[in-house]
Amino acid sequence: MFDDLDPKEFEETAAAVIESCAEAADIADRATLLAEAGLLGVTAPEAVGGLGLPIRFAVPIASAAGAGLLAFPVIEALLLTRALAKTAPEMATAIGAGEVVATIAWSGTAEDGVVGAAPLAAEADRILVFRADGGAVLIAAKAATVVDAAPSLDLEAPDATIRLAGAPDGIALDAATVHALREEAKLLRTAFVMGSAARCLTLAADYAQERSQFGKPLSANQVLRHRLSRDALAIETMRSALHRALAEPAEGPEMARDAAWLTAAQDGPVVAESAIQLFGGMGFTWEVPLHRHLRQIRTQTVHGAAADALDDLGAALLSGTNNTWYGEIANAV
Amino acid sequence: MTSQAAIDTSAPAEAGSYADHARAWLTQNLTDRLRTDRAHEPAATLDELIAFEAALHEAGLAGITWPKAYAGHGLTLHEHLEANREIGLAPMPNAVNSIGKELAGPILLAVGNESQKARFLPAILKMQHIWCQGFSEPGAGSDLAALRTKAERTADGWRINGQKIWTSGASKSQRCLLLARTGAPQERHKGLVLFAVPMNAPGIDVREIVSIDGQRSFCEVFFNDVIVDEADMLGAPDEGWAAASRVLSIERATNRMYRAWRFQSELDHLITACRSDRRAFAILQTYARELAQIRVKTEMIKGLVETLVETLLAGEQIGPRGSFPKLYWSEAHQSFARIAWEIVSRFPADANGPLLDLRKRVEGIYLSSRAETIYAGTTEIQLDIIAKRILNLKKTA
Repeated sequence: MFDDLDPKEFEETAAAVIESCAEAADIADRATLLAEAGLLGVTAPEAVGGLGLPIRFAVPIASAAGAGLLAFPVIEALLLTRALAKTAPEMATAIGAGEVVATIAWSGTAEDGVVGAAPLAAEADRILVFRADGGAVLIAAKAATVVDAAPSLDLEAPDATIRLAGAPDGIALDAATVHALREEAKLLRTAFVMGSAARCLTLAADYAQERSQFGKPLSANQVLRHRLSRDALAIETMRSALHRALAEPAEGPEMARDAAWLTAAQDGPVVAESAIQLFGGMGFTWEVPLHRHLRQIRTQTVHGAAADALDDLGAALLSGTNNTWYGEIANAV
Repeated sequence: MTSQAAIDTSAPAEAGSYADHARAWLTQNLTDRLRTDRAHEPAATLDELIAFEAALHEAGLAGITWPKAYAGHGLTLHEHLEANREIGLAPMPNAVNSIGKELAGPILLAVGNESQKARFLPAILKMQHIWCQGFSEPGAGSDLAALRTKAERTADGWRINGQKIWTSGASKSQRCLLLARTGAPQERHKGLVLFAVPMNAPGIDVREIVSIDGQRSFCEVFFNDVIVDEADMLGAPDEGWAAASRVLSIERATNRMYRAWRFQSELDHLITACRSDRRAFAILQTYARELAQIRVKTEMIKGLVETLVETLLAGEQIGPRGSFPKLYWSEAHQSFARIAWEIVSRFPADANGPLLDLRKRVEGIYLSSRAETIYAGTTEIQLDIIAKRILNLKKTA
């Protein structure tokens, strides 16, 4: 199915729309531009106005958003149009149509009373808040108080911390739907970081060939050529890992998703930092956009709880393996 | 050694069935002496290893993609990948004849004439001919085109003079895939010619070099007026090497396709053995994060390799992209080896049983892994290839 469609075409469309979003007046305008291009509901069912395509078609949109420094919670919109389609089709339709801007508070639970890591929550209409039981509830933004909207690390889609006014009230999602949303989030986040890091590499490789020192371009120096080669390896590794995760390998689809995401979370910032180093003093200026990429990549690592995920994987590994070749070794733990 | 009848390769294999077959066969045939996780067992002899590899081929687990006409199994890289996943997960020794199967064979298939294919290819799979690779020289390592070994025409063939080095397995090989030049060394890539030299030819002198892990695998090989038949030249001068280069770029990416799963298996062994002893497990627990990172890296190698397999199956060239997996797996494995060595080095003095087996294996892995960023094009050469041929970075204004 969908063999006649090429996800690459979505990337080109997304890149063009995202570029025009930079000129838009506010978040509502950006929502309209993205919705008109059909980008927000790509993976949502047709019943809610979506295209009903598999998640791999949303991947190039997330990637283009990372590359294009999009000031919109696009990962959240893509996830919510799909997750809400069954329980709240009208809301899913409205988010896909750009009429409602929705975001997700990636840290904390409703029971805490305070949740955080919610990109652009200060400008959103709806916020998905997770529950301790694994489910979630989509609340109206006005039912919560934004306690910290000061610019966070991410300048494009600043995170906010939110205090909930009493028990959250809104559209409820069950634990299975939330689990599926979180799994898809790993893929879109990996794509976002990859797009952002790949843009950093392009900027650095171009600069290395334009900038001349000691009578030759920076790119003539082997130490810098090798630095850029390592960054290219990092991007290629993310790309192939994402490709593999999307194919859901039989030997472990969840492991493939986790590994893709953890690699993006570890290597993405390194590529951005490397580009800043290559730009020298210019790299440390506000004007050169590399810091914007670094900020948004680092913010994604928080949304995706990469450090926690690595600890979880370590704990799971140490609990033993299912490799039958070592089955005879007695377990003393 | 039991060997099973060759499997029926005429029916298209269902997804996963080839892996099932591989797992079942290995469970039956990988004996304790052959296993790399049983250091307390006497090591397998060369004859045992050769017999095992021959049986592996008979069982359909080597020569998987080679044409049936040359004793191959006529299947695709899909089945090759499936079998290699299982081969990787098993604590199996590395192939004695990997140069034959993964380098000489594909080159012969690409540039060999009919007679050469018939003569050499089945002999490789049946383990009658073990091959070594005579490329590197004392003055031509990373800079292979600087090689000086000379091939001069004679009335009925060629006369070879020169010296090769780092020739793995030369002392146990029957044939050498030799790269020599017909003209002057200044001609660099021009005038290079490939031969399948019989290692029992008069004038060949092989001296073993002891490597840092105490093994006597690699050698220096001296060629002193060695006469080689015209029939043992592979392709025409120039042409043979050009074709071989294309094969090499694929081989760099796809050889020992089981690597990611082998590294995962080594990690499995580390964890399982440490879980057999509370003190060892206490040490292991302090490395949880680092081991998680290693586990992630094994998944990355799978992704890089599988992507290239897909590219090849789609009939596309991989060209310089073969450098990505080579660079990645070699460094990932060295990181694992460092961590694993540190863990086993902290075992209590009275550690025994599974911990001793593990320590022995890890010490071998740690030392031998140092070669991995050197052979098949050093890390620095791979980085150069990516900079030049993928990023197209200019060197002058």
